[in-house]
Amino acid sequence: MQAVKSRMLRPAHIIDLQALSELKFVTSEKGLLTVGAMTRYVDIVSSDSIPLELIALKDAASRVGDRQVRNRGTIGGSLCWNYSAACTPVTVLALDGAMNLISPDGSTRQVAADDFFLGPLETARNEFEILLSVDFKLRGSKSGSAYKKWGLVTDALPVIGIAACLHFDNTDCCDYARITLTGLSGAQRCLEAEASLLSTTANTEEIAEAMMIVCSKIPTYTDSMATADYRYQLIKTIGLEVIEIAKKRAFGLG
Amino acid sequence: MAKVAIDINGRLFQEEVPERMLLVDFIRERAHLTGTHIGCTYEGVCGACTVHLDGEAVKSCMLLAAQADEHKITTVEGLAPDGELTPLQEAFKSEHGLQCGFCTAGILMNMTDFLKRYPNPSEQEIRKGLIGNLCRCTGYVHIINAVRKVVQENQLRKT
Repeated sequence: MQAVKSRMLRPAHIIDLQALSELKFVTSEKGLLTVGAMTRYVDIVSSDSIPLELIALKDAASRVGDRQVRNRGTIGGSLCWNYSAACTPVTVLALDGAMNLISPDGSTRQVAADDFFLGPLETARNEFEILLSVDFKLRGSKSGSAYKKWGLVTDALPVIGIAACLHFDNTDCCDYARITLTGLSGAQRCLEAEASLLSTTANTEEIAEAMMIVCSKIPTYTDSMATADYRYQLIKTIGLEVIEIAKKRAFGLG
Repeated sequence: MAKVAIDINGRLFQEEVPERMLLVDFIRERAHLTGTHIGCTYEGVCGACTVHLDGEAVKSCMLLAAQADEHKITTVEGLAPDGELTPLQEAFKSEHGLQCGFCTAGILMNMTDFLKRYPNPSEQEIRKGLIGNLCRCTGYVHIINAVRKVVQENQLRKT
């Protein structure tokens, strides 16, 4: 709506999907969590169906804008808009969500988050496709996730936002890691940092090292909200915190 | 033009409106209920235009009037239809929760919905609940005190 009012978008038609109750649901069964595209942030925050390992979804949804915004805003709206600094895309990317899309002819397809978010304001959704829902695979015990951001005021759009999803094996070594970053140029994976955590116990030094790798690979910039150096500091600080929370949660401690 | 039927404070307004008309303008210009304010020139950041859509607090500058078709809206005028103030309104008075009053209607609407959902919030939760409303006079402390007073009164009533 803000994009329409600021003339960033000039749509010929607007179709309100709020009345489609079929697109408002959160279900968890057979190792799969599915969230309907028109599920509002407030419904995600209050849902009992979101398993602990995917709790990053609640971290993100509970900090979007303010409660009036969360009473209206939907997960699908945020994912399809894919704003350059937004909480939902970066979190869904970390949780390896899969978008279920439907075409006007009724045919459906699934697009993994890695292929869905093409860049700020760009997604793989075709012009006439509608996002129906997002699937998240559950990885079982010793899985944990978290999301955190920093903005100029509380719950503002992230200057830097980081999400993480970790899984640990029987020997308590990390065998699965996804770390994602937003605020610079949309949601992006931190692939080298993820790789550096594999086969480690993800202790504080190892996480700090992983975030140093992120800082060495990703350029930041200075603007009115933060200097380039401050953005690096945010990446290190928030990254360490988020990954430590995700790890604690994986071991049932957070 | 779009035909809409919007229930505002229990009264049905059936009007033909431009598709681009915002709900806040419908409330002010068609229903002539000017208690709902426009603080930030429709940018969705100040919260002064907060109303209830089917009982939940939303910013009426971020909705088209057409989106409220066949929905129920409550504005600040609907809180005390018979002139008897709600406990929250009384608390704003007694705790000096307002100075110029421009933001007050939006804050009352947001906090009325908030207290319905969270009857026993901590101060931190009240502060977080207020994020969507800007106030440039009070420094928020008196607003928080007013909300806390209602919470305390409700708790006392229960015991």
